[in-house]
Amino acid sequence: MNSLVAPRPLATGRIRLVDYRRRSLLMARFRVLIIALAFLFLALTAVSRIAWLGVIQPAAAQTTMADALLPPRGEITDRNGVPLARAFPAYALWFNPHAMDDGGPPLVSSPEEVARELHAIFPDLDVVDTAEKLRAGRGAYLRRRVLPEDANRVMEIGELALEMPREADRHYPQGSLAAHVLGYVQDGQGHIGMEQVLQDRLVDPAFRGEPAALSIDIRVQGALEDELKRGMLSVNAIGAAGIVLDVDTGEVLAMASFPEFDPNNVTTEDLIRTQEMVDRGIMPPAFNRVTNQVYELGSIFKPLTVAAAIDAGSITNLARRYQANRPLRIGKQTINDSHVIGDTLNAPQSLIHSSNIVTGQIADELGSDVLKKYMTDLGMGEAPYIELPGRGAPLSFGGEWSRLKGMTVGFGHGISVTPLHLASAYAAMVNGGMWRPATMRRIEPGNAPRGRRVFKASTSARMNQLLRMIAVYGTGRNANAPGFRVGGKTGSAEKPKNGSYSRTTLVSTFAAAFPMDRPRYVVIAMLDEPQGTVASSYQRTAAWNAAPVVGRLIPRIGPQLGVLPDEGRDIDLTELQYLVGSGVH
Amino acid sequence: MKGAVTLPAPLAQVPWAMLLPLMALVLFGAAVLHSAAGGSLSPYADSHLIRFGVFLVMALVMWRVPREWAFMLAYPAYGAVLLLLLGVEIIGQVGGGSQRWLELGPIRIQPSELMKPTIVLVLASYFHTMPVGMIGTWRAIVPPAVLMALPMALVLLQPDLGTTLAIAFGGTVLLFLAGLPGKWFLGGGIAAMVVAPLAYFFGLQDYQRRRVTTFLDPESDPLGAGYHITQSKIAIGSGGIPGKGFGEGSQSHLDYLPEPHTDFVFATMAEEWGLIGGIFVLLVFGIILRWGLNVARAAPDRFSRLLAGGMTATIFFYVAINLMMVMGLAPVVGIPLPFMSHGGSSMMTNMICIGTLMMVDRWNRKARTSSI
Repeated sequence: MNSLVAPRPLATGRIRLVDYRRRSLLMARFRVLIIALAFLFLALTAVSRIAWLGVIQPAAAQTTMADALLPPRGEITDRNGVPLARAFPAYALWFNPHAMDDGGPPLVSSPEEVARELHAIFPDLDVVDTAEKLRAGRGAYLRRRVLPEDANRVMEIGELALEMPREADRHYPQGSLAAHVLGYVQDGQGHIGMEQVLQDRLVDPAFRGEPAALSIDIRVQGALEDELKRGMLSVNAIGAAGIVLDVDTGEVLAMASFPEFDPNNVTTEDLIRTQEMVDRGIMPPAFNRVTNQVYELGSIFKPLTVAAAIDAGSITNLARRYQANRPLRIGKQTINDSHVIGDTLNAPQSLIHSSNIVTGQIADELGSDVLKKYMTDLGMGEAPYIELPGRGAPLSFGGEWSRLKGMTVGFGHGISVTPLHLASAYAAMVNGGMWRPATMRRIEPGNAPRGRRVFKASTSARMNQLLRMIAVYGTGRNANAPGFRVGGKTGSAEKPKNGSYSRTTLVSTFAAAFPMDRPRYVVIAMLDEPQGTVASSYQRTAAWNAAPVVGRLIPRIGPQLGVLPDEGRDIDLTELQYLVGSGVH
Repeated sequence: MKGAVTLPAPLAQVPWAMLLPLMALVLFGAAVLHSAAGGSLSPYADSHLIRFGVFLVMALVMWRVPREWAFMLAYPAYGAVLLLLLGVEIIGQVGGGSQRWLELGPIRIQPSELMKPTIVLVLASYFHTMPVGMIGTWRAIVPPAVLMALPMALVLLQPDLGTTLAIAFGGTVLLFLAGLPGKWFLGGGIAAMVVAPLAYFFGLQDYQRRRVTTFLDPESDPLGAGYHITQSKIAIGSGGIPGKGFGEGSQSHLDYLPEPHTDFVFATMAEEWGLIGGIFVLLVFGIILRWGLNVARAAPDRFSRLLAGGMTATIFFYVAINLMMVMGLAPVVGIPLPFMSHGGSSMMTNMICIGTLMMVDRWNRKARTSSI
């Protein structure tokens, strides 16, 4: 017993020591393990982080130095490389209330004082309005597109809160010229015109270094807008539209719509159609009348009807005479002329004097379905072919055409189309019979689309003679610019208002082609609701307002387009002259 | 591990299992530096390899040092490095402007770097001599705290926050391994959490404070203070799984990535070698650190165990902070990646750690053979 008891204290001490050592060893091992776990945790974190950065998270967009040097948005030029729209690095005037960063007021002087100083630099700046903006203590644009010298003067005011950040802006160096063709850019997105159509190409780094060339010729565009606006103002028209089209390629060399807008400074009034406009039946300035507005264009369709009749073989003898002094009665409707031209007229005379009665008979003999087929081939049955986004679909084209419908379409009523439809159809009529889609893109020589044949070449040749005769002997004499061999047809259509036609509100159009011995260009000028003024000898019809516009325009654009005036050349009219007599009236 | 090839006795004792992966890592680092120099050996890759060679010789010399010498040298080494630190401070004061190194003839040494392994050595020695039973008393904490605080204060004066933290980390891990009560660390952690915001507002330099805020939200200023992290993340991210290929890294070659050859060498590597390269680097570090911990576990006595554990922790600290910094998980502090970054001081410190570990490994083997 004792022997067992005696060594106990010693044994416990030993056991305690052994126990302590084991425990401390255990703890040491445990702590090493904790450190090892920390390593492991870090390694796992690192691997998952690399995997996250490298595999899952999308890589940062790679931009090369070359991209950075490109303009933010590509340039648009005319067919000869004249810039129409370019990236323009401008200054903005930004009020940054936190620029001082000292907890005090954002401005050194009072807001009114600063506003007055700014007003001295920008006289059109509203002092009260600006002072309010400055007092509000929120960041705000005070002005955009500040010129460098003005920016320097703003800097001289010495207010840190007036900052001048550089911004890439869109600049249209030609002002409102070709505004409807170009459109405008807002917050990087193009609207209305080719800015919208070419949006992707203009911002694509692969292409935006290269300017996008349009079919427009800026010289022709300028002349068209000048003459059209002058014509419009001289007769107090509410609007005007004009186009110059290359008959062999479909390229639009100029396209103008009035009233116009300034793409450099687009306002809401340019875009919004107010209730008042709806009531008056007019469109906002940004609306493109050439491609988007449909009209019953009237007599200007008569050559197309005659061409269809000659082409289809319905007219075999141009000397054949039609009665012209009795109104045509189809059911309850009556087709009449404004005045009796003569007892009988032949087809050339009906064009020269623009007789509804005779054209109605020609269309009747041709047949509604055949006329509709020709009109469909001329592209009248669908929205016009052009890149521009605003395209007006024709009205009342579809369905079976009755006998009356065919006769009214024969002289340009009953269907509504855009001026562009008309231009493409005239191009097909004069170029040998090939219809081609119109385009806003420059077409390299030899790359023009083949087009589709609508008329025989012989029909086209005959129509060239007839169109020339209208300009020489008929209603188109005011467009007959000497030496340019102009041919064309007037159209003065009464606008439908409240279900019937109004005799005082007209759409006056002149469709011309030149030179008729080898037609190269179609020119359309259209005036919406012209008034009788001194300039038009108190007449409202196209012969007195639209035709003179074309007559003044062609001498301006002809030489630039390679058509030189030559009194010694003309299309041969001798074989038809006897049909209309000399000095016919 | 005895292979089929029988090596001569001294060679067989070399810890090849660690040394071969380490050499592979250094060679890989040289390849990355070659690319970072725009595809040329100079000026980074060649000096990287030469330094590794020199310090490998130094490590092999250390490997042969007997345990008694190391134990005996602990306090004198600590005192010498402390004097050097003081010298830096004095020269800095006299010369004007702060500096971190001393010019001793042709070589330029950075005493703060030397302090990292030295603090481990001196603390290991201290705890070895302290009786085991006193581990829970003030004697286990106050003298080590003084030993750590002196160099930390001197380094912080330089000012060099990264190295200060490295010394603190090495010392703390050593205390942890020495077996100080767990609740002390818990309390210390809580105290650190309280002090951190105070230190942030009163202790840090302006540029350091900016680094911290930038780390918390690098996108707030991607072209200014957040530039390093943002570019580094782009570099790592653009590497993907296989990387862009050797010499194809645009971030480093076009100078988007700052310090592509030193602190951000991992990003340079990851851009060209991708996830695969990253895993390789981590694997080698894993092998080295695991070997280091095994050396610590196998150590026969307290001094050896603490020494090995502390050295491993020092290498670990470099790797951890650098990787986290490069990947945007820690603020930018100037700490290079061991064995890959170009730079003599870090190579020296890490090779001292490796040499010490090899030394302890040799003592272990000797202890084992003698006990058998």
